[in-house]
Amino acid sequence: MDFSAVARNLPYLAEGLLLTLEMATISILGGALVGLLLGLARAWRVAVVRQVAALYIELIRGTPLLVVLLVVYLAVPALTGERIGPVPSAVIGFIAFIAAYIAEDLRSGLASVPEGQIEAGLASGLSAAQVMRFVVLPQALRRMIPALFNQFVRLLKFTSVASVIGATELTGAVLAVNAREVKPLDLLAFLALAYFVACYALSLLGRWLDRRFAIAA
Amino acid sequence: MSYAFDWGVLWRYREALLSGLGLTLALSLLSLAGAMAVGLVAGAAGAGERRLPRLAAAAYVELARNVPLLVHMYFWYFGLTALRLPAFWCGVLGLSLYSGAYVAEVVRAGIQSVPAGQRAAALASGLSPWQALRHVIYPQALHIVTPSLAGLFSQLVKDSSLASVISVGELTFVAGEIEGDTFRAFEAYIGVTVLYLMVVTAVSHLALRGFRGGMADPAMRY
Repeated sequence: MDFSAVARNLPYLAEGLLLTLEMATISILGGALVGLLLGLARAWRVAVVRQVAALYIELIRGTPLLVVLLVVYLAVPALTGERIGPVPSAVIGFIAFIAAYIAEDLRSGLASVPEGQIEAGLASGLSAAQVMRFVVLPQALRRMIPALFNQFVRLLKFTSVASVIGATELTGAVLAVNAREVKPLDLLAFLALAYFVACYALSLLGRWLDRRFAIAA
Repeated sequence: MSYAFDWGVLWRYREALLSGLGLTLALSLLSLAGAMAVGLVAGAAGAGERRLPRLAAAAYVELARNVPLLVHMYFWYFGLTALRLPAFWCGVLGLSLYSGAYVAEVVRAGIQSVPAGQRAAALASGLSPWQALRHVIYPQALHIVTPSLAGLFSQLVKDSSLASVISVGELTFVAGEIEGDTFRAFEAYIGVTVLYLMVVTAVSHLALRGFRGGMADPAMRY
């Protein structure tokens, strides 16, 4: 095995890696934001809001990511007549997908805060919204760090699926290079190594943050 | 927005959809068996006391989990072209080794939650280490982690859609064919979304029930 094919195409592959990291960053931030809003909607007092959020979460969690991307990239444009490129389609799909899982994690995070604290907050004169904002959410979010980073690592791996709808992120770039160089093992080893390093670094960051913000039991 | 729906396209392609569904189920079930086999071994090694198997299991788990499933599939499909494996089996291998790492972590956690005295008692009563694992440790560990395993299995069914990329004619692949033939992208992809929803719901219910039945709390049997 020699990596000359990788070395020759390094600038192109680096561009792919950059696009992967960009897509992952935007999707992680967007997914976390939408996921938290969705999770709060899932716990809302108004029943309709709660049910709509629950329905969305269940629908997404029963659908493969690839199918979500194909729906955003092919099915919805067929309906509306407006095409959008593979990269924005993929990012929309990633956010719509991961948000459902993050919302579900938030639900167990919220449930982990003891009932007594909510009662104590209300009894001390805070409004329900203030109890959520100052008592429940800070603890729930800190407990959620491991689950949240699990989803982030998943998302980072999922960005590879964007190559299927034609994005030349890292996986797409490697496939394109391989079509010319025909060095599948070298190129796939490089691809696996690049993802491994990125995912491992992200999960180490998660573990560090978890220790940093741990709540004493 | 004036789009004339034609849901009849799904009925006209019912045979293709059914065969795609069949392949999705076959792919998922075989990969499930593979992932369980790999996960039980790697999970036991990871929870064991012997250093070398423990390190090997940890290396496998980290390596397999931190590389995208798509890359796993490509590895078997055109990384190892010399083996000339059919696409379907490349899909099974990729899914088994990828999901196996997740199963291993769940099994390891299950084994570690079984009190150490159970193994000591089993060995003291004359069982071999393998018998202790098979008859005492595994049943209790699997009972504890049933919900996690059920979650992993429905994940596996959804992940099997990626096999369409290496040209396995499963459900997602069939949707692509329908779209290519008829340009009915919306009907085709919404149609398979509904099919996936039904299969995933059924699988997670069956997996939960099946494990609860098969893995009834071992302590209650005596």
